Amino acid sequence: MKKILVLIFIGLLTTSMLAQDYKFGKVSKAELEEKVYPLDSSANAVVLYKSRRTSFNYLQGEGFQQKTEIHERIKIYNKEGYKWATKLIKYYSPDSGEKENVSKLIAKTYVLENGKIKEYKIQKNQIFTEKKNKYWAQKKITMPNLSDGCIIEWKYDINSPYRGISKVELQYAIPIKKVVCRISIPEYFKYNVKHLGYLEINKKDSYQNDEITLVHKVRTGQVGYNHTSRENNSTETVRLINEVSEIDMENVPAILEEDYVDNINNYKTAIHYELASVKFPNDKLKSYSTSWEAVAKTLYKESDFGGEIEKRNYFKNDLEDLVKGETDETKKALLIFEFVKQKVKWNNYFGLTTDEGVKQAYKKGTGNIADINLMLTAMLQEAGLNAYPVVSSTRNHGIPIFPTLSGLNYVLASAKINGEVVLFDASEKNSKPNILPQRVINWNGLLVGAKGNFDQVSLLNTQKAGVNSTISAKLDADGEINGMCRTKYTNYYEMLYRDVYGSLNEEDLLFKLEEANDNIEIEKIKVQNKKEIYKPLSEMFSFTSEDLVTTSNNKIFVKPMLFNCITENKFKLKSRDYPVDFTTKSSKRYSTSITIPEGYEVESLPENIGIGLPENYGVYKFQVVKVGNKINTISDLSINTVIYPAKYYQELKEFYKLIVKKNAEQVVLKKV
Amino acid sequence: MKPLKIITLQFLLLVTSIVYAQDISFNTFTISEDLKKDANSIIRSESLFVNIKSQTSMTLNVKRAVTVLNNQGDKFRYVVVNYDKNTKITKLKTTIYNAFGGVLKKVKSKEFKDISNYDGFSLYSDNRLKYFEYIPIQYPYTIYYEYEIATVNTGFIPTWTPFDRFETSVEKSEYKVVSQNDMKLRTKEFNFEGYNISKTVNDYAINYSLTNQPSIKHETLSPGINTYTPKLMVGLYKFCLEGIKGEAENWEEFGKWRYDFLKNGNDIVDEGIKARVEGLVAGVDDNLEKARIIYDYVQGKTRYISVQEGIGGWKPANANTVDQLGYGDCKGLTNYTKALLDAVGVESYYSVIWAGKTKKSVDKDFFSMQGNHIILNLPTDKEDIWLECTSQDVAFGELGDFTDDRDVLVITPKGGVIKHTKKYKPLESQQTTVGNYKINDNGSIEAKVEISSKGIQYDDHLGWFLGKTQKDLDIEFKDYFSHINNIEFSKIDISNNKKKAVFEENLEFKAQDYASKSGDQMFIPLNAFTNSTYVPKRVRNRKLPFKISRGYFDVDMVDVQLPRGFKVEYIPSSIELESDFGVYKIEVEKVNELEYKYSRKLTIYDGEYTKDQFDAYRDFRKKIRKYDNRKIIITK
Repeated sequence: MKKILVLIFIGLLTTSMLAQDYKFGKVSKAELEEKVYPLDSSANAVVLYKSRRTSFNYLQGEGFQQKTEIHERIKIYNKEGYKWATKLIKYYSPDSGEKENVSKLIAKTYVLENGKIKEYKIQKNQIFTEKKNKYWAQKKITMPNLSDGCIIEWKYDINSPYRGISKVELQYAIPIKKVVCRISIPEYFKYNVKHLGYLEINKKDSYQNDEITLVHKVRTGQVGYNHTSRENNSTETVRLINEVSEIDMENVPAILEEDYVDNINNYKTAIHYELASVKFPNDKLKSYSTSWEAVAKTLYKESDFGGEIEKRNYFKNDLEDLVKGETDETKKALLIFEFVKQKVKWNNYFGLTTDEGVKQAYKKGTGNIADINLMLTAMLQEAGLNAYPVVSSTRNHGIPIFPTLSGLNYVLASAKINGEVVLFDASEKNSKPNILPQRVINWNGLLVGAKGNFDQVSLLNTQKAGVNSTISAKLDADGEINGMCRTKYTNYYEMLYRDVYGSLNEEDLLFKLEEANDNIEIEKIKVQNKKEIYKPLSEMFSFTSEDLVTTSNNKIFVKPMLFNCITENKFKLKSRDYPVDFTTKSSKRYSTSITIPEGYEVESLPENIGIGLPENYGVYKFQVVKVGNKINTISDLSINTVIYPAKYYQELKEFYKLIVKKNAEQVVLKKV
Repeated sequence: MKPLKIITLQFLLLVTSIVYAQDISFNTFTISEDLKKDANSIIRSESLFVNIKSQTSMTLNVKRAVTVLNNQGDKFRYVVVNYDKNTKITKLKTTIYNAFGGVLKKVKSKEFKDISNYDGFSLYSDNRLKYFEYIPIQYPYTIYYEYEIATVNTGFIPTWTPFDRFETSVEKSEYKVVSQNDMKLRTKEFNFEGYNISKTVNDYAINYSLTNQPSIKHETLSPGINTYTPKLMVGLYKFCLEGIKGEAENWEEFGKWRYDFLKNGNDIVDEGIKARVEGLVAGVDDNLEKARIIYDYVQGKTRYISVQEGIGGWKPANANTVDQLGYGDCKGLTNYTKALLDAVGVESYYSVIWAGKTKKSVDKDFFSMQGNHIILNLPTDKEDIWLECTSQDVAFGELGDFTDDRDVLVITPKGGVIKHTKKYKPLESQQTTVGNYKINDNGSIEAKVEISSKGIQYDDHLGWFLGKTQKDLDIEFKDYFSHINNIEFSKIDISNNKKKAVFEENLEFKAQDYASKSGDQMFIPLNAFTNSTYVPKRVRNRKLPFKISRGYFDVDMVDVQLPRGFKVEYIPSSIELESDFGVYKIEVEKVNELEYKYSRKLTIYDGEYTKDQFDAYRDFRKKIRKYDNRKIIITK
């Protein structure tokens, strides 16, 4: 007897420790008493449980309605975790058109007070509804009575007449202890499903039978004077199969931001659903995008996309004047590219399709991305070039790994010139063919060709961005340096320079440069071709400085790169989980020639080095020579990749460490 | 007879404003060179017309035409109008003109966006705004807009600041207020001297205008332009706020009104709460000690959540509600703290302040709705103590640069009083860095250091480091010591010593290649921990004075150990610099061949200085940077 009792007791104990109750409101004392998350002691909060159920229910007269039920239970360990107690629920609520809504919102805070669980429920007047803009609204709540160690919990339904399924998020900036999702989709709807992130998703798919009851009204009896008609209901049952995906994951680690990451959301574990087709019984299949080919075809047929390229009349006369007599394709393309830049300014809206249309944009002088670059494409075509639009996704919008329309939000123009596809973005005044702004440098684009044919085009800048800077300087015995610095910028860096400094007058530019170069005072500055983007950009200034040199005991010490030193290793993290994104390949070449003061000789020079990154991802050279009374130095850094893999992170860190060390070494001069 | 006169006046004003609207030419070629100099934009014509119809009804008509010369003046391309339940937009139109004054674009009303005015920190606010953003397609262009709003808030008559932006000249700015016969106007002028301002003023109507004002260019460290350019404050003796009427002749009465309308019993806590806090202070007699206990309790119990809705934008939430929810905004939390202090018999007062890094005072002579934040005043025999009730972390009575050194309105049951918040003297904002480091023969450094900060620097360090994870702290401290590469911390302990109001950091780290080498020589930066690289940028032909807003005091005391097998070739000498701006003192003391004691003391005085002193200040800073970067040279 005794034995059995003990056994039962132990059995009970283990289950109560292991099996947690995830029913709403069933928060345990043990959960409340936990002081720190055992798997990640740095977590300020942890999602104890998240559940999401999405299903489609047929409603007579309204069709399929999507319902998503969310339930989340979050443990808050300390004050830094309090921000997780504020919840925003965004939903689509356009001024005109069908609206989504949020229902059955309940939320509670649980705290331990004198050893007892006490709960505080959120009141109606603490739920705020805010209309964000024309399309979106949100519910906002913040939980009452937080204290360190408390648990908060909410559940709500989002009801939607739409078929788009929102992203299934499986990873947060805090750890998740358990997450379960169930997505049930009627056989009529097909989706493309995409997994994101580096964690394996534990997902089971199955089929389940379901049925819909349709009610028909049937009239019986005579209609007319003195006759009453009766309505009878007849029901019909339609059988269908639901495709059910069930996800069950435990101990999902937190995902943290790191520098030099293109977009952290590209690495968060999640599942994307993209509607591919709809087919009801006895009805034709309605296809949405299912392959890149289908995406291209859909766009090609779309009046706001393909249709806009077909419009030509509005620019015909202007175009004829513009390219009259010009036969060279490159020159023609540039003329048109610059014309569109001047003619239409970007209104800061992205868009896969036009806003008010190319014609309006042309007339008004402003338009969204699609307006501008579809117009450019049309003009290039009209001028006889082999030009097509290229669609893509901006960095903030993430990477479209699988065929998708909603994953795209950007349009570029392209033209095949001398057998090569050249990309154009007329929304940036300082961009050039194949030199694109950072927002669009994001993996691949989809070229939408004739009749909806397609091709993949890399958007990673292939041309190396360059800085080439030459200083010639004279050093005085008392430590003052006078000199000239001349710097040329090319490709991506050239565009950046013009973006940042292009509109400044000389005085303001001088101020900015002094701000960037702490140790020098600039006397005169001249920038060549600040605005003429097809001519080489070069910046030249004369400077003086007393702060670049140390003197003592008849010796002079100076870093040979002067203010062009690379002084900081930006890769400070111990390790790294995501690739490093450099935006562009680059070459930074600095050279100096320093004339040493009379009566001094070189006591020591830094040693020359040449180092490299794995797989030739990067190379650095540093060379110093003495020629007559001059010390000539070259520091040459080349990064040969846009994306650098995380597995070689330690090598990258070491590479920059050596560069910084080398740049800090000094030339020692001694009085003769 | 009197009412008739005013009606005529109003009528006249109306007529003039119509004529005026048609009169404007937006041709940019007629702008005088004086106004174009150093300007990115020019206010061509601006008119603010406030029509007070009754104590609870007022309209504001704004017409503004701004010529933008280049993209740096593009901040004017927005038209933004706020509204809410009690403030309606009754008119809104915008037209863009080209350089010749021809119409470039007439903005349609549907082109305006209507969005929630999210302030960045509120959970919810019923404030909304309509805005239009013009995309410039050429320069120069002129943006003209007119809007009219109708509101009950006669407590807020806009202040006229016709010339309050750098690099923006003013061709003409006009300001008119018309009131009714039982609603006298009050005005106060600031910084009018030397400006081309004309005015007609009587008790019920005022009319001011500024014409042909060339622009001023911003210069490093120059005080805010609004501290020396014209400003006109206007108010009423009878006013209304979100439907609640008030009357006052001075700050005292105004404060009394605010007190009465704030109170309405919402600063009295239930018996249960009273008993709870009485329990907390049981056995404590000293009021200051009681206040500390209550403040600590509030910090532990509450958090800052802002909800701004209707009168709730002005009136604090009931203290019992705050107690129940455990959160509130600055009003709610301050009122709650006050209510708890009342409950234990400690007197304290709700106080209105202009919060922000730039010090701005509530005007002591002109009563009106002012301020953007609430703190608590705790008078003691010795001094006034100020409590920031929205922070869960700051030590009792510490203010930081958000609320220090400025005039505030203290609301007592007897009425409003103007008091001044604490000003930290340079020596009170002290950062002390004590430590030692050892250089190894490969040039790496091993360091132990303890940093403690007080005053304004307490607040700085609190903001930088408190509440961060070890991973984030690692990044933050690598940033703090950004002059040292390759740092690897083996210890990062931080502690917010609330009792002493000191922030403490205890660090240990190693860094490879701290010293650089050339041949047999090794260069070791002597000053490892507190490196002042800041030098204000040169300003050619400076025209404006400059200001150091807050003084401070840094002390470093460091034991230095050099590697064996080397001999010292050069050791930086002791230095003392004195200037109008502060004192810098370095002492280097030899202990033995390879050990030194290094101390650094830098005091910076706050103050306003003339433009002629700027170069001397730069020079002082440059010297500090130079001496901070000196290196010990050792050879094998």
